[in-house]
Amino acid sequence: MNINGVAIDDTFAEAFTMRVARIVITGRNPKWAREAAVKMTGFATSVIGCKCEAGIERELPAAETPDGRPGVSVLFLTMDKESLPRQLVVRLGQTVLTCPTTACFDGLPSVPDRLAVGKALRVFGDGFQASKVIGGKRYWRIPVMEGEFLIEETFGMQKGVGGGNFLILAEDADHGLEAAEAAVDAMTNQPGVILPFPGGVVRSGSKVGSKRYKSMIATTNDAFSPTLRAVTASQVPEGVNSVLEIVLDGTDGPSIEAAMRVGIRAACRPGVRAISAGNYGGKLGPHHFHLRKILA
Amino acid sequence: MSETIVLSLTQAPEHALVADCIAPDRFAALAAKEIASLGVFHGGRAARLGDFFKVTGERSPNLRLEGDLGRVRGIGTGMTGGAMVIDGPSGRDLGVAMAGGRIEVRGSTGDNVGGARPGAAKGMTGGEIVIRGSAGDDAGVRMRRGLLVILGDVGRGTGRAMIAGTIVLFGKTGPGAGRFLKRGTIVALAAMERPVTYRYACTYRPPHVGVLLRYLRARSGVPVSDRHVIGRYERYSGDLAELGKGEILQWAGE
Repeated sequence: MNINGVAIDDTFAEAFTMRVARIVITGRNPKWAREAAVKMTGFATSVIGCKCEAGIERELPAAETPDGRPGVSVLFLTMDKESLPRQLVVRLGQTVLTCPTTACFDGLPSVPDRLAVGKALRVFGDGFQASKVIGGKRYWRIPVMEGEFLIEETFGMQKGVGGGNFLILAEDADHGLEAAEAAVDAMTNQPGVILPFPGGVVRSGSKVGSKRYKSMIATTNDAFSPTLRAVTASQVPEGVNSVLEIVLDGTDGPSIEAAMRVGIRAACRPGVRAISAGNYGGKLGPHHFHLRKILA
Repeated sequence: MSETIVLSLTQAPEHALVADCIAPDRFAALAAKEIASLGVFHGGRAARLGDFFKVTGERSPNLRLEGDLGRVRGIGTGMTGGAMVIDGPSGRDLGVAMAGGRIEVRGSTGDNVGGARPGAAKGMTGGEIVIRGSAGDDAGVRMRRGLLVILGDVGRGTGRAMIAGTIVLFGKTGPGAGRFLKRGTIVALAAMERPVTYRYACTYRPPHVGVLLRYLRARSGVPVSDRHVIGRYERYSGDLAELGKGEILQWAGE
Protein backbone atom coordinates (compact mmCIF):
# COMPACT_ATOMS: atom_id res chain seq x y z
CA MET A 1 0.00 0.00 0.00
CA ASN A 2 1.21 3.51 -0.67
CA ILE A 3 -0.31 6.98 -0.43
CA ASN A 4 1.10 9.77 -2.61
CA GLY A 5 4.10 7.57 -3.24
CA VAL A 6 4.73 6.94 0.47
CA ALA A 7 4.89 3.29 1.49
CA ILE A 8 2.60 2.23 4.34
CA ASP A 9 4.27 -0.59 6.25
CA ASP A 10 2.27 -3.68 6.98
CA THR A 11 2.48 -3.26 10.73
CA PHE A 12 0.52 -1.97 13.68
CA ALA A 13 0.72 0.46 16.57
CA GLU A 14 0.38 -1.19 19.95
CA ALA A 15 -1.40 0.81 22.64
CA PHE A 16 -2.37 0.37 26.27
CA THR A 17 -5.47 0.75 28.36
CA MET A 18 -5.24 3.83 30.57
CA ARG A 19 -7.66 5.82 32.71
CA VAL A 20 -8.80 9.12 31.31
CA ALA A 21 -10.64 12.21 32.54
CA ARG A 22 -11.80 15.14 30.44
CA ILE A 23 -11.39 18.54 32.08
CA VAL A 24 -13.16 21.60 30.70
CA ILE A 25 -11.39 24.81 31.69
CA THR A 26 -13.11 28.11 30.99
CA GLY A 27 -11.82 31.62 31.34
CA ARG A 28 -12.77 35.21 30.79
CA ASN A 29 -11.34 34.89 27.28
CA PRO A 30 -9.62 32.16 25.26
CA LYS A 31 -6.20 33.40 26.35
CA TRP A 32 -6.74 32.68 30.04
CA ALA A 33 -8.49 29.37 29.48
CA ARG A 34 -5.56 28.32 27.33
CA GLU A 35 -2.97 29.61 29.81
CA ALA A 36 -4.39 27.31 32.48
CA ALA A 37 -4.65 24.38 30.09
CA VAL A 38 -1.09 24.80 28.88
CA LYS A 39 0.22 24.84 32.44
CA MET A 40 -1.91 21.88 33.43
CA THR A 41 -0.69 19.78 30.51
CA GLY A 42 2.93 20.82 30.89
CA PHE A 43 5.41 18.03 31.72
CA ALA A 44 2.80 15.40 30.94
CA THR A 45 4.25 13.75 27.86
CA SER A 46 4.69 10.18 29.03
CA VAL A 47 3.85 8.10 32.07
CA ILE A 48 7.43 6.85 31.94
CA GLY A 49 8.73 10.04 33.49
CA CYS A 50 5.72 12.24 34.23
CA LYS A 51 3.34 9.68 35.77
CA CYS A 52 0.58 11.09 33.60
CA GLU A 53 -0.11 12.08 30.01
CA ALA A 54 -2.18 15.10 29.14
CA GLY A 55 -2.91 17.44 26.31
CA ILE A 56 -5.36 19.91 24.91
CA GLU A 57 -8.13 18.10 23.08
CA ARG A 58 -9.68 21.19 21.51
CA GLU A 59 -10.72 24.75 22.15
CA LEU A 60 -14.37 25.22 23.02
CA PRO A 61 -16.54 28.12 21.89
CA ALA A 62 -18.53 29.89 24.59
CA ALA A 63 -21.74 28.19 23.50
CA GLU A 64 -20.31 24.76 24.36
CA THR A 65 -19.22 25.44 27.94
CA PRO A 66 -21.30 25.29 31.13
CA ASP A 67 -20.71 28.93 32.04
CA GLY A 68 -20.94 30.40 28.56
CA ARG A 69 -17.32 31.50 28.44
CA PRO A 70 -14.58 30.37 26.08
CA GLY A 71 -12.93 27.17 27.15
CA VAL A 72 -10.43 24.45 26.51
CA SER A 73 -10.98 20.72 26.78
CA VAL A 74 -8.11 18.73 28.25
CA LEU A 75 -7.67 14.97 28.31
CA PHE A 76 -5.73 13.67 31.29
CA LEU A 77 -4.55 10.06 31.48
CA THR A 78 -2.77 7.82 33.96
CA MET A 79 -1.98 4.12 33.92
CA ASP A 80 -4.28 3.23 36.83
CA LYS A 81 -7.39 4.53 38.49
CA GLU A 82 -5.73 5.19 41.83
CA SER A 83 -3.24 7.71 40.50
CA LEU A 84 -5.66 9.68 38.33
CA PRO A 85 -7.40 11.56 41.16
CA ARG A 86 -4.09 12.18 42.93
CA GLN A 87 -2.53 13.66 39.83
CA LEU A 88 -5.63 15.70 39.03
CA VAL A 89 -5.88 17.21 42.49
CA VAL A 90 -2.23 18.28 42.41
CA ARG A 91 -2.31 19.60 38.86
CA LEU A 92 -5.67 21.38 39.02
CA GLY A 93 -4.76 22.86 42.37
CA GLN A 94 -1.47 24.28 41.15
CA THR A 95 -2.37 25.30 37.61
CA VAL A 96 -6.09 25.98 37.19
CA LEU A 97 -7.01 27.16 40.67
CA THR A 98 -4.11 29.59 40.49
CA CYS A 99 -4.92 30.97 37.04
CA PRO A 100 -6.96 34.20 36.88
CA THR A 101 -10.62 34.00 35.82
CA THR A 102 -10.76 30.24 35.27
CA ALA A 103 -13.44 27.75 36.26
CA CYS A 104 -13.25 24.00 35.92
CA PHE A 105 -15.90 21.52 34.80
CA ASP A 106 -16.22 17.81 34.19
CA GLY A 107 -16.15 16.82 30.53
CA LEU A 108 -17.39 13.26 31.10
CA PRO A 109 -20.67 13.88 32.96
CA SER A 110 -22.38 10.63 32.01
CA VAL A 111 -19.58 8.37 33.20
CA PRO A 112 -20.49 6.48 36.40
CA ASP A 113 -16.95 6.26 37.83
CA ARG A 114 -16.54 9.56 39.70
CA LEU A 115 -13.41 11.17 41.13
CA ALA A 116 -13.91 13.56 44.03
CA VAL A 117 -11.42 16.11 42.73
CA GLY A 118 -13.36 19.30 43.44
CA LYS A 119 -14.33 17.90 46.80
CA ALA A 120 -10.66 17.49 47.66
CA LEU A 121 -9.69 20.93 46.38
CA ARG A 122 -12.47 22.69 48.27
CA VAL A 123 -10.47 22.66 51.51
CA PHE A 124 -8.20 25.32 50.05
CA GLY A 125 -11.13 27.55 50.98
CA ASP A 126 -10.24 26.99 54.65
CA GLY A 127 -13.87 26.69 55.69
CA PHE A 128 -15.03 29.70 53.69
CA GLN A 129 -15.89 27.55 50.67
CA ALA A 130 -19.51 27.00 49.76
CA SER A 131 -21.25 24.55 47.50
CA LYS A 132 -24.09 24.96 45.03
CA VAL A 133 -26.16 22.25 43.42
CA ILE A 134 -27.21 23.22 39.91
CA GLY A 135 -29.07 20.77 37.73
CA GLY A 136 -28.17 17.88 40.03
CA LYS A 137 -24.43 18.63 39.98
CA ARG A 138 -22.61 19.96 42.98
CA TYR A 139 -20.11 22.77 42.44
CA TRP A 140 -17.64 24.19 44.93
CA ARG A 141 -17.07 27.90 45.21
CA ILE A 142 -13.64 28.56 46.62
CA PRO A 143 -12.94 32.16 47.61
CA VAL A 144 -9.63 33.42 46.23
CA MET A 145 -7.96 36.82 46.18
CA GLU A 146 -9.22 37.53 42.65
CA GLY A 147 -12.81 36.58 43.45
CA GLU A 148 -14.05 33.02 43.34
CA PHE A 149 -12.87 29.76 41.79
CA LEU A 150 -15.65 27.42 40.70
CA ILE A 151 -15.04 23.70 40.26
CA GLU A 152 -17.33 20.71 39.92
CA GLU A 153 -17.29 18.34 42.86
CA THR A 154 -16.62 15.21 40.84
CA PHE A 155 -15.10 14.33 37.50
CA GLY A 156 -15.83 11.28 35.39
CA MET A 157 -13.17 8.64 34.79
CA GLN A 158 -13.29 6.01 32.10
CA LYS A 159 -10.98 3.59 30.36
CA GLY A 160 -8.99 5.25 27.62
CA VAL A 161 -6.24 4.32 25.23
CA GLY A 162 -2.64 5.50 25.47
CA GLY A 163 0.25 5.01 23.10
CA GLY A 164 -1.35 4.99 19.67
CA ASN A 165 1.41 6.01 17.29
CA PHE A 166 2.89 6.15 13.86
CA LEU A 167 6.38 6.80 12.57
CA ILE A 168 7.30 9.14 9.73
CA LEU A 169 10.36 7.87 7.88
CA ALA A 170 11.74 10.80 5.91
CA GLU A 171 14.61 11.45 3.54
CA ASP A 172 15.94 14.15 5.84
CA ALA A 173 15.08 15.95 9.07
CA ASP A 174 13.51 18.96 7.34
CA HIS A 175 11.08 16.88 5.33
CA GLY A 176 10.33 14.75 8.35
CA LEU A 177 9.46 17.76 10.45
CA GLU A 178 7.30 19.28 7.72
CA ALA A 179 5.38 16.03 7.43
CA ALA A 180 4.99 15.76 11.20
CA GLU A 181 3.72 19.33 11.40
CA ALA A 182 1.22 18.63 8.64
CA ALA A 183 0.04 15.51 10.47
CA VAL A 184 -0.34 17.39 13.77
CA ASP A 185 -2.27 20.18 12.07
CA ALA A 186 -4.64 17.63 10.57
CA MET A 187 -5.17 15.88 13.92
CA THR A 188 -5.63 19.04 15.97
CA ASN A 189 -9.18 19.36 17.32
CA GLN A 190 -9.98 15.73 16.54
CA PRO A 191 -12.50 14.77 19.24
CA GLY A 192 -11.36 12.34 21.91
CA VAL A 193 -7.66 12.53 21.05
CA ILE A 194 -4.58 14.33 22.34
CA LEU A 195 -0.98 14.39 21.19
CA PRO A 196 0.90 14.67 24.50
CA PHE A 197 4.42 15.39 23.22
CA PRO A 198 5.92 18.79 22.37
CA GLY A 199 4.11 20.12 19.33
CA GLY A 200 2.56 16.66 19.06
CA VAL A 201 5.86 15.18 17.84
CA VAL A 202 8.42 12.81 19.41
CA ARG A 203 11.97 12.64 18.14
CA SER A 204 13.16 10.18 20.77
CA GLY A 205 10.93 7.15 20.47
CA SER A 206 11.90 4.52 22.99
CA LYS A 207 12.10 0.79 23.38
CA VAL A 208 11.28 -1.10 26.56
CA GLY A 209 14.26 -1.56 28.87
CA SER A 210 17.92 -1.27 28.04
CA LYS A 211 20.60 -3.35 26.45
CA ARG A 212 23.18 -1.97 28.82
CA TYR A 213 21.69 -0.23 31.90
CA LYS A 214 19.53 -2.42 34.11
CA SER A 215 17.89 0.49 35.92
CA MET A 216 16.49 2.05 32.75
CA ILE A 217 12.88 1.20 31.92
CA ALA A 218 13.06 2.83 28.49
CA THR A 219 15.94 3.68 26.21
CA THR A 220 16.43 4.97 22.70
CA ASN A 221 14.71 3.10 19.91
CA ASP A 222 17.96 2.10 18.22
CA ALA A 223 16.14 0.16 15.51
CA PHE A 224 14.73 3.43 14.17
CA SER A 225 17.73 5.66 14.88
CA PRO A 226 19.38 6.47 11.52
CA THR A 227 22.80 7.11 13.02
CA LEU A 228 22.89 3.54 14.32
CA ARG A 229 21.91 1.86 11.07
CA ALA A 230 25.35 0.36 10.63
CA VAL A 231 25.76 -0.94 14.17
CA THR A 232 22.35 -2.27 15.24
CA ALA A 233 19.47 -4.41 13.95
CA SER A 234 18.15 -1.40 12.11
CA GLN A 235 14.68 -0.98 10.65
CA VAL A 236 15.60 2.27 8.93
CA PRO A 237 15.19 1.72 5.17
CA GLU A 238 17.66 2.83 2.55
CA GLY A 239 17.28 6.56 1.79
CA VAL A 240 15.73 7.39 5.19
CA ASN A 241 17.78 9.75 7.35
CA SER A 242 15.29 10.97 9.95
CA VAL A 243 12.38 9.37 11.81
CA LEU A 244 9.76 11.19 13.84
CA GLU A 245 6.97 9.66 15.89
CA ILE A 246 3.48 10.93 16.56
CA VAL A 247 1.96 9.55 19.78
CA LEU A 248 -1.78 9.66 20.34
CA ASP A 249 -3.81 9.13 23.52
CA GLY A 250 -7.57 9.12 23.51
CA THR A 251 -10.86 8.27 25.07
CA ASP A 252 -11.35 5.16 22.91
CA GLY A 253 -9.94 3.16 20.03
CA PRO A 254 -12.16 4.53 17.26
CA SER A 255 -11.15 8.10 18.11
CA ILE A 256 -7.47 7.15 17.86
CA GLU A 257 -8.08 5.37 14.57
CA ALA A 258 -9.91 8.36 13.12
CA ALA A 259 -7.09 10.71 14.10
CA MET A 260 -4.40 8.35 12.79
CA ARG A 261 -6.25 8.16 9.48
CA VAL A 262 -6.19 11.91 8.89
CA GLY A 263 -2.74 12.32 10.40
CA ILE A 264 -1.06 9.66 8.28
CA ARG A 265 -2.71 10.92 5.11
CA ALA A 266 -1.44 14.43 5.84
CA ALA A 267 2.07 13.10 6.52
CA CYS A 268 2.26 11.34 3.16
CA ARG A 269 3.99 14.07 1.21
CA PRO A 270 7.18 14.59 -0.79
CA GLY A 271 10.34 13.76 1.12
CA VAL A 272 8.67 11.01 3.15
CA ARG A 273 9.61 7.46 2.20
CA ALA A 274 7.42 5.39 4.50
CA ILE A 275 4.98 5.36 7.43
CA SER A 276 5.49 2.72 10.09
CA ALA A 277 4.40 2.17 13.68
CA GLY A 278 5.82 1.10 17.00
CA ASN A 279 4.82 -2.11 18.71
CA TYR A 280 6.12 -4.73 21.10
CA GLY A 281 5.12 -7.74 19.07
CA GLY A 282 1.53 -7.42 20.21
CA LYS A 283 2.26 -8.93 23.63
CA LEU A 284 2.05 -5.87 25.88
CA GLY A 285 -0.82 -3.68 24.76
CA PRO A 286 -4.37 -4.88 24.04
CA HIS A 287 -5.05 -2.23 21.39
CA HIS A 288 -3.57 -2.86 17.95
CA PHE A 289 -3.98 -0.23 15.25
CA HIS A 290 -3.09 -1.82 11.91
CA LEU A 291 -1.98 0.94 9.58
CA ARG A 292 -3.24 -0.62 6.35
CA LYS A 293 -6.59 -1.52 7.88
CA ILE A 294 -7.07 2.03 9.18
CA LEU A 295 -6.20 3.55 5.81
CA ALA A 296 -8.11 1.08 3.64
CA MET B 1 -49.41 4.25 32.14
CA SER B 2 -49.81 7.67 30.54
CA GLU B 3 -47.16 10.11 29.53
CA THR B 4 -48.76 12.86 31.60
CA ILE B 5 -51.56 12.97 34.14
CA VAL B 6 -53.82 15.98 33.65
CA LEU B 7 -55.96 17.42 36.44
CA SER B 8 -58.52 19.87 35.05
CA LEU B 9 -60.45 22.01 37.48
CA THR B 10 -64.14 21.33 36.88
CA GLN B 11 -65.65 22.79 40.05
CA ALA B 12 -64.15 26.07 41.23
CA PRO B 13 -63.76 25.90 45.03
CA GLU B 14 -65.82 28.45 46.97
CA HIS B 15 -63.46 28.28 49.94
CA ALA B 16 -59.86 27.35 50.43
CA LEU B 17 -59.20 23.88 49.07
CA VAL B 18 -56.36 22.13 50.87
CA ALA B 19 -55.08 19.62 48.32
CA ASP B 20 -51.69 18.58 49.68
CA CYS B 21 -52.27 15.14 48.16
CA ILE B 22 -51.40 16.54 44.72
CA ALA B 23 -47.86 15.49 43.94
CA PRO B 24 -46.50 13.73 40.85
CA ASP B 25 -44.43 11.20 42.78
CA ARG B 26 -47.56 10.03 44.63
CA PHE B 27 -49.61 9.88 41.46
CA ALA B 28 -46.93 7.83 39.71
CA ALA B 29 -48.24 4.62 41.26
CA LEU B 30 -51.97 5.40 41.14
CA ALA B 31 -54.78 4.73 38.68
CA ALA B 32 -57.05 7.61 37.66
CA LYS B 33 -59.83 6.44 40.01
CA GLU B 34 -57.43 6.22 42.93
CA ILE B 35 -56.20 9.73 42.24
CA ALA B 36 -59.76 11.07 42.10
CA SER B 37 -60.57 9.43 45.43
CA LEU B 38 -57.70 11.10 47.34
CA GLY B 39 -58.84 13.23 50.23
CA VAL B 40 -58.90 17.04 50.29
CA PHE B 41 -60.39 19.65 52.62
CA HIS B 42 -62.76 22.24 51.26
CA GLY B 43 -63.55 25.01 53.69
CA GLY B 44 -62.39 22.68 56.45
CA ARG B 45 -64.67 19.83 55.35
CA ALA B 46 -63.43 16.55 53.94
CA ALA B 47 -63.98 15.97 50.24
CA ARG B 48 -62.45 14.08 47.33
CA LEU B 49 -60.07 15.39 44.74
CA GLY B 50 -62.43 14.11 42.06
CA ASP B 51 -65.15 16.46 43.38
CA PHE B 52 -63.15 19.35 41.94
CA PHE B 53 -60.91 17.92 39.23
CA LYS B 54 -61.32 15.74 36.22
CA VAL B 55 -58.42 13.27 36.13
CA THR B 56 -57.04 12.21 32.76
CA GLY B 57 -54.22 9.68 32.62
CA GLU B 58 -52.63 7.56 35.31
CA ARG B 59 -49.40 6.12 36.72
CA SER B 60 -47.07 8.83 35.46
CA PRO B 61 -44.48 11.00 37.21
CA ASN B 62 -45.48 13.92 34.98
CA LEU B 63 -48.44 15.99 36.06
CA ARG B 64 -50.22 18.98 34.59
CA LEU B 65 -52.86 21.04 36.39
CA GLU B 66 -55.28 23.22 34.50
CA GLY B 67 -57.58 25.97 35.70
CA ASP B 68 -57.55 28.82 38.20
CA LEU B 69 -56.05 27.17 41.27
CA GLY B 70 -55.74 30.40 43.26
CA ARG B 71 -57.73 28.86 46.13
CA VAL B 72 -56.00 25.49 46.02
CA ARG B 73 -53.44 25.21 48.79
CA GLY B 74 -50.53 22.89 49.45
CA ILE B 75 -50.01 21.55 45.95
CA GLY B 76 -46.78 19.54 45.83
CA THR B 77 -46.39 19.37 49.60
CA GLY B 78 -43.54 17.03 50.52
CA MET B 79 -43.03 16.12 46.87
CA THR B 80 -39.89 14.04 46.31
CA GLY B 81 -39.73 13.63 42.54
CA GLY B 82 -41.44 13.94 39.21
CA ALA B 83 -42.42 17.04 37.29
CA MET B 84 -45.50 19.21 37.69
CA VAL B 85 -46.70 22.09 35.53
CA ILE B 86 -49.50 24.35 36.72
CA ASP B 87 -51.11 26.12 33.80
CA GLY B 88 -52.33 29.16 35.71
CA PRO B 89 -52.21 30.59 39.20
CA SER B 90 -51.87 28.47 42.31
CA GLY B 91 -52.71 29.06 45.95
CA ARG B 92 -50.49 29.31 48.99
CA ASP B 93 -48.15 26.63 50.37
CA LEU B 94 -47.05 25.39 46.96
CA GLY B 95 -44.15 22.94 47.28
CA VAL B 96 -44.03 23.22 51.05
CA ALA B 97 -41.39 20.85 52.47
CA MET B 98 -40.62 19.70 48.95
CA ALA B 99 -37.60 17.38 48.73
CA GLY B 100 -37.17 16.72 45.00
CA GLY B 101 -38.64 17.03 41.52
CA ARG B 102 -39.67 20.10 39.59
CA ILE B 103 -42.64 22.47 39.76
CA GLU B 104 -43.37 25.11 37.17
CA VAL B 105 -46.19 27.59 37.67
CA ARG B 106 -47.31 29.47 34.57
CA GLY B 107 -48.94 32.12 36.65
CA SER B 108 -48.64 33.58 40.12
CA THR B 109 -48.66 31.80 43.43
CA GLY B 110 -49.60 32.60 47.01
CA ASP B 111 -47.68 32.78 50.27
CA ASN B 112 -45.12 30.32 51.61
CA VAL B 113 -44.06 28.80 48.27
CA GLY B 114 -41.24 26.31 48.94
CA GLY B 115 -41.61 27.13 52.60
CA ALA B 116 -42.04 25.11 55.75
CA ARG B 117 -44.97 23.37 57.38
CA PRO B 118 -46.20 25.25 60.45
CA GLY B 119 -43.67 24.82 63.26
CA ALA B 120 -41.23 22.84 61.11
CA ALA B 121 -37.52 23.62 61.31
CA LYS B 122 -36.93 23.14 57.59
CA GLY B 123 -38.78 24.19 54.50
CA MET B 124 -37.93 22.96 51.05
CA THR B 125 -35.05 20.46 51.16
CA GLY B 126 -34.54 19.82 47.44
CA GLY B 127 -35.93 20.13 43.94
CA GLU B 128 -36.72 23.14 41.81
CA ILE B 129 -39.65 25.54 41.68
CA VAL B 130 -40.07 28.07 38.88
CA ILE B 131 -42.84 30.67 39.24
CA ARG B 132 -43.42 32.58 36.04
CA GLY B 133 -45.62 35.12 37.77
CA SER B 134 -45.44 36.70 41.20
CA ALA B 135 -45.36 35.11 44.65
CA GLY B 136 -46.82 36.14 47.98
CA ASP B 137 -45.10 36.51 51.34
CA ASP B 138 -42.59 34.13 52.90
CA ALA B 139 -41.32 32.47 49.72
CA GLY B 140 -38.60 29.95 50.57
CA VAL B 141 -38.92 30.36 54.31
CA ARG B 142 -36.50 28.07 56.21
CA MET B 143 -35.40 26.56 52.91
CA ARG B 144 -32.67 23.96 53.47
CA ARG B 145 -31.69 23.06 49.90
CA GLY B 146 -33.03 23.38 46.36
CA LEU B 147 -33.78 26.15 43.92
CA LEU B 148 -36.65 28.63 43.90
CA VAL B 149 -37.00 30.98 40.94
CA ILE B 150 -39.59 33.76 40.80
CA LEU B 151 -39.87 35.77 37.62
CA GLY B 152 -42.36 38.29 38.96
CA ASP B 153 -42.51 40.27 42.18
CA VAL B 154 -42.41 38.74 45.65
CA GLY B 155 -43.95 39.82 48.92
CA ARG B 156 -42.43 40.16 52.36
CA GLY B 157 -39.94 37.87 54.06
CA THR B 158 -38.57 36.00 51.06
CA GLY B 159 -35.91 33.51 52.17
CA ARG B 160 -36.49 34.32 55.82
CA ALA B 161 -34.38 32.04 58.05
CA MET B 162 -33.03 30.16 55.05
CA ILE B 163 -30.61 27.42 56.03
CA ALA B 164 -29.17 26.86 52.54
CA GLY B 165 -30.26 26.67 48.92
CA THR B 166 -30.75 29.28 46.23
CA ILE B 167 -33.48 31.80 45.46
CA VAL B 168 -33.42 33.77 42.21
CA LEU B 169 -35.62 36.87 42.06
CA PHE B 170 -36.29 38.66 38.80
CA GLY B 171 -38.82 41.23 40.02
CA LYS B 172 -39.38 43.56 42.94
CA THR B 173 -38.78 42.19 46.40
CA GLY B 174 -40.81 43.04 49.46
CA PRO B 175 -39.21 44.00 52.78
CA GLY B 176 -37.44 41.55 55.04
CA ALA B 177 -35.92 39.34 52.36
CA GLY B 178 -33.07 37.20 53.70
CA ARG B 179 -33.64 38.11 57.33
CA PHE B 180 -32.10 35.53 59.71
CA LEU B 181 -30.62 33.67 56.75
CA LYS B 182 -27.87 31.25 57.88
CA ARG B 183 -26.42 30.08 54.57
CA GLY B 184 -27.67 30.06 51.04
CA THR B 185 -27.94 32.58 48.27
CA ILE B 186 -30.51 35.11 47.18
CA VAL B 187 -29.77 36.33 43.68
CA ALA B 188 -31.60 39.60 43.03
CA LEU B 189 -31.70 40.74 39.43
CA ALA B 190 -33.75 43.84 40.30
CA ALA B 191 -33.21 46.26 43.15
CA MET B 192 -34.09 44.87 46.57
CA GLU B 193 -34.21 46.16 50.09
CA ARG B 194 -31.66 44.41 52.27
CA PRO B 195 -31.78 43.98 56.03
CA VAL B 196 -29.27 46.20 57.83
CA THR B 197 -27.59 43.09 59.17
CA TYR B 198 -26.00 42.40 55.80
CA ARG B 199 -22.57 43.80 55.03
CA TYR B 200 -21.21 44.69 51.62
CA ALA B 201 -18.24 42.51 50.58
CA CYS B 202 -17.33 43.27 46.98
CA THR B 203 -18.57 43.65 43.42
CA TYR B 204 -17.53 40.76 41.18
CA ARG B 205 -18.69 38.25 38.60
CA PRO B 206 -19.74 35.17 40.57
CA PRO B 207 -19.03 32.22 38.28
CA HIS B 208 -21.77 30.00 39.67
CA VAL B 209 -24.45 32.58 38.84
CA GLY B 210 -23.57 32.35 35.16
CA VAL B 211 -23.83 28.57 35.32
CA LEU B 212 -27.11 28.78 37.21
CA LEU B 213 -28.77 31.30 34.91
CA ARG B 214 -27.68 29.44 31.79
CA TYR B 215 -29.05 26.26 33.31
CA LEU B 216 -32.40 27.96 33.96
CA ARG B 217 -32.52 29.26 30.42
CA ALA B 218 -31.75 25.87 28.92
CA ARG B 219 -33.74 23.67 31.30
CA SER B 220 -36.84 25.72 31.95
CA GLY B 221 -36.87 28.30 29.19
CA VAL B 222 -36.54 31.10 31.73
CA PRO B 223 -35.92 34.35 29.80
CA VAL B 224 -32.52 35.23 31.20
CA SER B 225 -30.67 38.00 29.44
CA ASP B 226 -26.96 37.82 28.74
CA ARG B 227 -26.32 40.94 30.80
CA HIS B 228 -27.38 38.99 33.86
CA VAL B 229 -25.38 35.92 32.91
CA ILE B 230 -22.11 37.78 32.46
CA GLY B 231 -22.90 40.68 34.75
CA ARG B 232 -21.29 42.00 37.90
CA TYR B 233 -22.94 41.43 41.25
CA GLU B 234 -22.61 43.15 44.59
CA ARG B 235 -22.08 40.60 47.31
CA TYR B 236 -23.64 41.24 50.69
CA SER B 237 -22.76 38.76 53.43
CA GLY B 238 -25.33 37.92 56.01
CA ASP B 239 -27.41 37.65 57.94
CA LEU B 240 -24.76 38.76 60.42
CA ALA B 241 -27.35 38.58 63.17
CA GLU B 242 -27.30 34.85 62.45
CA LEU B 243 -24.56 32.51 61.20
CA GLY B 244 -23.62 35.00 58.48
CA LYS B 245 -22.52 32.43 55.92
CA GLY B 246 -25.17 33.40 53.41
CA GLU B 247 -25.28 36.07 50.78
CA ILE B 248 -27.40 38.38 48.73
CA LEU B 249 -26.03 38.83 45.23
CA GLN B 250 -27.42 42.00 43.78
CA TRP B 251 -26.98 42.49 40.05
CA ALA B 252 -24.93 45.64 39.44
CA GLY B 253 -24.78 45.90 35.68
CA GLU B 254 -22.59 44.48 32.96
